[in-house]
Amino acid sequence: MHEVSLVQGLMEQVRNIARNNRASEIIRIKVLIGPFSGVVIDSFEFAFDALKQDDALFRQCMLEIQAPGPVFQCRKCGAKTAGQGRQANTVDQPGSAVFSWLSHETACPECGEKALTPSGGDEILLMQVEME
Amino acid sequence: MCDQCGCQANTARGRKVLDINKSLLEENQKLGEENRRHIQEMGAVGINIISSPGAGKTTLLEATADAAAGHFSFGVIEGDIETERDAERIRKKGIPAVQITTGGACHLDAHLVHGGIHQIQDTAGPEGLDIIFIENVGNLVCPATFYLGEHQRIVMVSVPEGSDKPAKYPRAFIGSDLFIISKADLLPYFDFSMEEASEEAKRLNPDIKILTVSAVTGEGMEHWLSYLSGLLNR
Repeated sequence: MHEVSLVQGLMEQVRNIARNNRASEIIRIKVLIGPFSGVVIDSFEFAFDALKQDDALFRQCMLEIQAPGPVFQCRKCGAKTAGQGRQANTVDQPGSAVFSWLSHETACPECGEKALTPSGGDEILLMQVEME
Repeated sequence: MCDQCGCQANTARGRKVLDINKSLLEENQKLGEENRRHIQEMGAVGINIISSPGAGKTTLLEATADAAAGHFSFGVIEGDIETERDAERIRKKGIPAVQITTGGACHLDAHLVHGGIHQIQDTAGPEGLDIIFIENVGNLVCPATFYLGEHQRIVMVSVPEGSDKPAKYPRAFIGSDLFIISKADLLPYFDFSMEEASEEAKRLNPDIKILTVSAVTGEGMEHWLSYLSGLLNR
């Protein structure tokens, strides 16, 4: 449950932004969570909903999470490929993007080599804050 | 945001939309870089060890104390949720150790380790240290997200845990430099596939090095020592 620490960090960052902009209410926060970040999105949302109750600044705030799919890069030819379909990081399918890829190794669509490896995707970003 | 052109202008009364694009880990990252500088100024190399509880992190460090005598010096920052026990075990080997108890938190972060580095510096004496090990809280999930300022990151899995760990806990392997398979003396008694563990770890992270060790029989210890010595000579 390091998601709690991450949400605490997020709120601290947003508090500073609110102070600098003289805002008294945060309406919406957009966060991007990469598929290889090791963050469970359900837990992140749960932590946010629990912690926002303690601070009037956030009480009405909506949390919007962008969860891009995994990207793999070929070690032979360098081509990048979007991973198969479903988004990982929910309680029902923890790490499914990586796990399904490991279980059914797919070949690089460019060169045919079975040499795909995860590319980026470990980011956890505060994208946008809407406030008044 | 303004509906006409997508600019940052306020629309509704007093409402403001700001694009930020900053990592939630930015603060931790900055503190981590400070830790790294601090360790370098001490003339040392920082190594963050991540594993599940009971994989044998402390036992390997105890065995390292015996094996490293005369080769290089090291200190240990111990991370645990509770108790001073791991630090006491290390101190019994004559190695400087400080204990960080997180009081419930499932991982170390750069801020906690910052205090630990100051303490280990005070404990170490005038000759200083060649290596500072940071033994993370036993957990293969959460510690993987937090950079502590280490120069090397090690992920450790013991034979009884099973060879499917890289597939189940990918983040810890994607971000590590070395994968240690510990308790190798138990290989005859467990259904642990070396091939599965190393093949899946390499697919997650083609650059990861793999070492098999047993602190009990001493198997692989010479490779472990030469890996550590190699870090010092850089």
